[in-house]
Amino acid sequence: MTMQTVLSDIGSINDKYVMFNRFTEDSDPGDSKFLFSAKDNLTSKDFETCCGSRILEGYHPVFDATAIAKMRNAGGKLIGKTNMDEFGFGTFSANSGFGIPRNPFDLERACGGSSGGSACAAAVIEDHVSLGVSTGGSICCPASFCGVYGIAPTYGRVSRYGLIDYGNSLDKIGLLSAKASDLTRYLPVISGRDERDPTSCVQPELEIKGDRIRSVAVPKEAAEGLSKDVSEAFLNSLETLKGMGIDVEYVDMPALKYAMPAYYVLATSEASTNLARYVGMRYGHQDGDLSLKFDDYFTYFRSKYFGDEAKRRILLGTYTRMAGFRDRYYAKALKVRMYVIDAYKQILKDHDAVLAPTMPFVAPRFDDISKMTPVESYKADYLTVPANLAGTPHLSVPCGYNADGMPIGMQFVADHWNEDRLLTMANEWDKAFDVRKAEVSL
Amino acid sequence: MKIGLEVHVQLPTKSKMFCSCPTTDAEGPNMHVCPTCLGMPGSRPVLNKKVLEYGIMLAKMLGCSVADTAWFSRKTYFYPDMSKSVQITQYDNPIGVKGMYYLNGKKPIRITRIHLEEDPGKTKRVGDLSSLIDYNRSGIPLAEIVTEPDLKTPAEAREFLGELIQDIRHIIDLPGDGERSIRCDCNISVGVERCEVKNVTGLKNVERALTFEVIRQTKILKAGGKIDRETRRFDEQRGVTISVRKKEFEADYGYIDEPDLGIYHIKAMAESIKIKESPLKRTMRLSSEYGLNEKAAKQLVATSMDLADLFERVAKATDVQIAKTWVAGAVSANWKAFEANDKADEDGIVDIISKFADGKITDTECNLELKAYMTGKDTESLKGAAADLDAVISEYLDKNPAIVEDYRKNEKAANRVIGFVMKQTGGAYSSADVVTAATRLLKERL
Repeated sequence: MTMQTVLSDIGSINDKYVMFNRFTEDSDPGDSKFLFSAKDNLTSKDFETCCGSRILEGYHPVFDATAIAKMRNAGGKLIGKTNMDEFGFGTFSANSGFGIPRNPFDLERACGGSSGGSACAAAVIEDHVSLGVSTGGSICCPASFCGVYGIAPTYGRVSRYGLIDYGNSLDKIGLLSAKASDLTRYLPVISGRDERDPTSCVQPELEIKGDRIRSVAVPKEAAEGLSKDVSEAFLNSLETLKGMGIDVEYVDMPALKYAMPAYYVLATSEASTNLARYVGMRYGHQDGDLSLKFDDYFTYFRSKYFGDEAKRRILLGTYTRMAGFRDRYYAKALKVRMYVIDAYKQILKDHDAVLAPTMPFVAPRFDDISKMTPVESYKADYLTVPANLAGTPHLSVPCGYNADGMPIGMQFVADHWNEDRLLTMANEWDKAFDVRKAEVSL
Repeated sequence: MKIGLEVHVQLPTKSKMFCSCPTTDAEGPNMHVCPTCLGMPGSRPVLNKKVLEYGIMLAKMLGCSVADTAWFSRKTYFYPDMSKSVQITQYDNPIGVKGMYYLNGKKPIRITRIHLEEDPGKTKRVGDLSSLIDYNRSGIPLAEIVTEPDLKTPAEAREFLGELIQDIRHIIDLPGDGERSIRCDCNISVGVERCEVKNVTGLKNVERALTFEVIRQTKILKAGGKIDRETRRFDEQRGVTISVRKKEFEADYGYIDEPDLGIYHIKAMAESIKIKESPLKRTMRLSSEYGLNEKAAKQLVATSMDLADLFERVAKATDVQIAKTWVAGAVSANWKAFEANDKADEDGIVDIISKFADGKITDTECNLELKAYMTGKDTESLKGAAADLDAVISEYLDKNPAIVEDYRKNEKAANRVIGFVMKQTGGAYSSADVVTAATRLLKERL
C-alpha cells in the first residue's frame, strides 16, 4: 500500500473495520514522509475530537496536542482520529459513542481497548503508526488483541498537553504499530519536556543506546487465571527468550493483587472530576431548555449524553472521594500506588524487566462481551493495570496465535525511564518470532 | 458575639495563576481567555511561580508557619462561571497555617490558614431569565486568609480588615485601586449557630453587613427563635442580608490532589524571601522605639512609609524630639506637595532640619525653608504669604482677647481662631499652615 492507496481506500477500510471516528478526505499525501493516526482523545485542529463521547460531538479544538504537533513536524500526515471507548472507559472499545472497531483477525471479535481503533489501524493499514493512550492498559490490551506492537512509555515521558484527561496521574501517550522498528523511530519524536505539561518536565532525556533486557522476572501471581491458549503461547515464548540468551526467573509479586482496586479508585476519582466540565455550555454538543435552572440543565444534559460506563465511573469516583470515604478509598489508594511502585523497584534491582502475558485471554467475541458484568470486564485488565499504576514503561509484543488464529501478546515492564531496553527488546523479538499479518480484503 | 472573616485577595501577578493570560482589565468580556482558563478539554495548568512567592510573603506577614512543600487540590462543584467545574485550590497543606495578627498591635487575632486558589469567572444577570458569563477573571490568583472567630464587634471587624488590607497592600505592592481586589466572607454568630455572609466588598459594607446580622440574629433570639445555619448575601443598595441557601450539611467538594501539578519544594524559596516591615509593625516600632504616641505614629505611616523612613533618618541625624516636631509637623503637612514635586529629595529636608538643630536657622526660617523646598515655591512669596496670614490672625486675636484666656484653660479654643481664619481667607492657606500659625501666635500671647 502506498500512501496514495491508503488515502484513497481509507473510506472503505473504515466501513469494514470502524477504526476511525473521523478521517481525512484528502487523497493527496503531498510531501508527507509518513502517515499516522491518533486516538480521538488527542486534540487536533483539523479534526473534530470527541473522545468517543456523544457529549463532545461537534467539538473542534483550537490547538493540536503536543504529540500530534510533533508527529506533524517530523513530516507525518494525520489521516484520522481513531475510535475508542468513551473517555477511555473500557477494555474492548465497545463503549464508544460512534460504533465499535472490528478485530482484523475476526470481525466478530473486539479490538480491545480503549485504544482499539489505533490497534486496528496499525494492524490493517500497512506502514502505519498510531498514537494511543494508556491509563490502565489501553495500549497493550488492544495491541495484544490485534497482534501488533504497543508501547506505553514512563508516565511523564510524552507531554499530555492536548490529551483529554481520563486519570491525569495515570494517562500516558504511546505508540502502536505492526513494525517493531516504528516504535524506536517514533518514540523519540513524541517524547521530551514540554513546558505546557509540567509533569513532562522532570524526565531525563530518552537515549536510544540499544541496552538489552538480559533477564526477566515472571510473577507467579500473573500465571493465575490465564486461558489455556494464552498460557501455552506464553510458556513457548519463555523458551524462545531463553534461546535468545535471556534469563527467565519466576518471582513472587504479591503487590500485584492490590493494584487493581487501587487503580480503579484513583482512575475513577480523577475521571469524575475531569468529566465535571462537560455540562453542555462551553464546547461540544449543546441542546435542551436553556431556561432551566443551571443545575437542572446540567443534569439533563449529562444524563442524556454520557454513556452508561461514563456514568458508572463518575458515580464510583465521586463516591471514593466523598468526605468520610476519601481516606478509606482515595487516600489509601495513593498509598497502595507507592507500595506497587516499590514492589517493581525491588524486582527490577535484580532483573531488567517483569514479564507476563498482556491479557488473560484472546480477543473475545462481541456476543460474549455483552454477557460480561462490569466487574468481569474490569478484571480482564489485571495484568496491564499494575505497570500503569506504577507509571513504569511497558511493551506488548505478539507472542503466539491460538487454534482460531487469534493473536496472543506478552508484556514487558521496565523500570522508570528505561524505554530504551523495551525498544531493543521489540526489535530483537521481531527477529526471533514470526509475526502474522491479518488478512485484509476490502 | 463571634466574628470570623475569610478574606480573598487578588494577587498582583501580571499573568493568571495557571496560564499566560493577562490580569489587566480587558477591553470587553471574554477577551483575556485561553484554552486553560476556559477549561477546554486537553488544556493543562502551569503554575505561575510568582503566586507561590506572594503566598509566602503573606504567610510570613501573618506570622504563619510556611509549609516546606506545597501542592494543590481539586475542589469540584458545578457552577456556570467555574469553567472546569473544578477549582484548583489548596486543601491538605495550605501555604501557611497558625498565624497571629495583632489588631492595633495589641489584640491577638488568630489566623487559621492562608491558602492559594484560582478565581472563577463572573456571572452577570441580564434580565430575569438569563445570565452571561465573563471568564476574564477565571484563573486570576487569589490568596484566602481565614481567621478564627476572634473578632467581637462589626466595628472591630472593619478595623481589623482595614489594617490587614493596608499591610497586604504594602507587603505585596497591591495597587490601591479601591477595594475591588479584596472580597470578604463574614461568619457571625450572636448565639450558637453561625451564618455566613458571602462575597462582601469594601470595609464599609463588611461593617454594614455584620451590623445588620447582629440586629437580625438578636431579634430572632430575643423572640425565642432559632438561628438557621445558612449562607447569606449582602444587598449593598438596601443594606440587608438575604438568605441564599440553608447549610444543614457541609457541602462536599470531594477534594483530591491536583494531578497535573506536582509537589513544590518551597523551603529554600521561603527562606530566601524577606518581607518588608508591615505598616502595622512599623507603627508599633515607631511608638516603642521613639516614644511617639500611637496616633502620631499611625498618622506618619498612613501618610506614607517614606515619611516614616524620613522620620527615622531625621531622628538619627538630630534627635527624636526634633524629628517629632518637624517631621510629624511641617514635613508631614507638605508631604503631598513634596511627592508631586520631582525636583526635591529627602536629603534636602534632612539638611534643613539639621541646620535648625545646629542653631543655624530659627524655627520660623526652618518652617519657611522646608515649605519652600518641599513645594518648590520661592521663600520670598511664602514669607509674604506667611506674614499676611500672621496679620489676619493677630488682628482677630486683638479683637477677641478672651480667646487667649480660654486657650489657657483649653487648647480647643484655638479652633475658633482657625475656623475664622479659614473662612476669612477662603482656602488660600492650607489648614496645616493655619493651625501652625494660630497655635504659635496664641502661645506668644499667653
